[in-house]
Amino acid sequence: MDSEAHALFERSLRNAVKDHSGQALDAALEELGWSGAMAIEPRAAISILFRLQGENNVSSSALGQVVLFGLGPSDKPVMGVVLPAMGEWDPPGTMDGHGLAVNGLAPAALRAQESAIVVASTERGTRAVEVPTTSLTFERVRGIDPNIDFVRVSAADIGTFTDLGPTAPDWSSAVALARLALAHELVGSCRTMLELAREHALGRVQFDRPISSFQAIRHRLADTLVAIEMADAMIDAAWLDGTPDSAAMAKAVAGRQARTAARHCQQVLAGIGFTTEHPLHLSVKRTLVLDGLFGSAVPLTRALGEEMVRAAQLPPLLPL
Amino acid sequence: MNSTAPPQGDIDDFRLSVESWLDENQPVLAPGYQGTGTLDEQMAQLAKVKRLAYGAGFMRMGWPERVGGLGGSSLMRAYLGEALTTRGLVEPGLYSMTEVLAPTMIDYASPELAAAMVPALLRGDETWCQGFSEPGSGSNLGSLSCRAVRTEEGWRVTGQKVWTSLAQYAQRCVLLTRTGTPESAHRGITALFADMDTPGITVRPIRTMHGVEEFCEVFFDDVAVPFARTLGEVGGGWSVAMDLLPYERSTSLWHRAAYLQRRLQGLLDAAPAGAIDPARLGEVTQLLYSFRARSRATQHRMANGEHLGPETSIDKVLLATAEQAVFDLVADTLTAEVTLGDDPDSERWRTEFLYSRAASIYGGSIEIQRNIIARRLLDLGNDR
Repeated sequence: MDSEAHALFERSLRNAVKDHSGQALDAALEELGWSGAMAIEPRAAISILFRLQGENNVSSSALGQVVLFGLGPSDKPVMGVVLPAMGEWDPPGTMDGHGLAVNGLAPAALRAQESAIVVASTERGTRAVEVPTTSLTFERVRGIDPNIDFVRVSAADIGTFTDLGPTAPDWSSAVALARLALAHELVGSCRTMLELAREHALGRVQFDRPISSFQAIRHRLADTLVAIEMADAMIDAAWLDGTPDSAAMAKAVAGRQARTAARHCQQVLAGIGFTTEHPLHLSVKRTLVLDGLFGSAVPLTRALGEEMVRAAQLPPLLPL
Repeated sequence: MNSTAPPQGDIDDFRLSVESWLDENQPVLAPGYQGTGTLDEQMAQLAKVKRLAYGAGFMRMGWPERVGGLGGSSLMRAYLGEALTTRGLVEPGLYSMTEVLAPTMIDYASPELAAAMVPALLRGDETWCQGFSEPGSGSNLGSLSCRAVRTEEGWRVTGQKVWTSLAQYAQRCVLLTRTGTPESAHRGITALFADMDTPGITVRPIRTMHGVEEFCEVFFDDVAVPFARTLGEVGGGWSVAMDLLPYERSTSLWHRAAYLQRRLQGLLDAAPAGAIDPARLGEVTQLLYSFRARSRATQHRMANGEHLGPETSIDKVLLATAEQAVFDLVADTLTAEVTLGDDPDSERWRTEFLYSRAASIYGGSIEIQRNIIARRLLDLGNDR
């Protein structure tokens, strides 16, 4: 894409996320050919869409598309995929002599598909299988953020499925891409929280001054911008670097910085930001869920440190 | 400065030639002391490395030809300092003065003055210092009062500077003076380039808590500075300062990232089994790598000819956060060494831990950086 095509693509996506969420957004993305664009320019397609989803607090099935793309080329028509359960990044399926067991999450739209792809750990490594959705149990998730419209997906002993073959090491590529997408979405959410807090600070008058003139407020907002730019820089480096370790770092940084941004913005918005009459709570809740998907900041950070202690080495550095 | 990004291949070639030159000349380039060395030893080491690197051409790459450079992308400067720092050949804080002061001279000195002076700085023949802060003007730099009076022969400077790094070694000083009325604030400031051996200048080093006489008080008593040594416009010293400060937050921070990664690796090597908390190690590494990623992007923006401005305050906040996190982890992991050790390695960890406390103070405190971010990047208006 040249810069003009890029701008046009971004404008179209911006319109799509402004007016749609959930299955309506899925349809709009299909019309725009978003997954085709991802196949050609994954970084542009993923970074723009997920940042916009975060900024506008909308959801779609695009994360599943990212996972499918990360699993490698397929001649199957586009279908849904089961994501790992909350906090997990191991494949959502396990296969033993008895059949396939599934414990994962998916956008509610998966129910409408005829079949779904489940990546499963087996004795012969990680394999992708196609299962009819009728053999899966779907349970609506409400939780802290019902708007994200997820379903819990489970199954105990599925005997009928189509084995699509081994996926390793593609599962780690799929996880890395999903983490980058989520990191962009977290940063998008943070930018919206910062803008909400900034507008409030400029308009809210106390002691005869806008509260934006108080250093305590200004420094919280400045620290929020620092947190966001720090995450964004790490995400850019992870795209350039292209390793799963960098993507994990970017996701962990974005998750932790989202907590920082939420804390500062919530405090600046004070009482009104604690109510459902103001939209801040939507982003605060969304970032908690996004942080948990494909591994939250805490376990990813600990895993990084444990690996460094074991190897007695810093992770590879992106050269200048 | 005129610098445009070269094809990546040029940078890769430069990287390879720097590395092979450093490999071949390791014995002569290596410092002759253990641990940190004294400041005298570090300064002699810095001069030696710069002289050799200038002779080999590397110290001239990325600098304009009109000041003795060989042209090309500023990324080469970033890489050279990174390589020298990573190998422990220079102390990055001392090395960084070149990256801060040479660009200012190139941008603001008359072409003749820049051509005459900058090569000596690049070659390691001279040390320069930066006379900005005063006892009464720290964060509020615009209130400075060191006075320059116009006479028929030139400027006469009277006043006091403080926190002037390396003034006791310096041959020259980039100096901010008050040439307007005392109330003229940032509008009445003029930047001068003074010779430190001019009669009337007295330098008194200050011993820091990490045991180094790194910065000084500098007293000016009716010191003559020729008009030809004016940097930029008379009354335009504030722009000189504002353009210099982003340089403090660009290439020199990239070199600092290289230093921090070297020391964090040093901690992994030195820590006894089980002494490091992996969760904290992971978090510190993420802070360092994010800071480094930010600084890398700044290097590329600079190499593409972009003007660096208030957004570099974010780089500075990230450096301070990362540096203090690295050395907090050091202090909590190597507690016995930092508190009680008297061997060179322990002294080095202790010195570095203590020095890291200044990362949120020097070059514009973290509070000043946040003020800049709030006003210039978030457009929050005035703070009163």
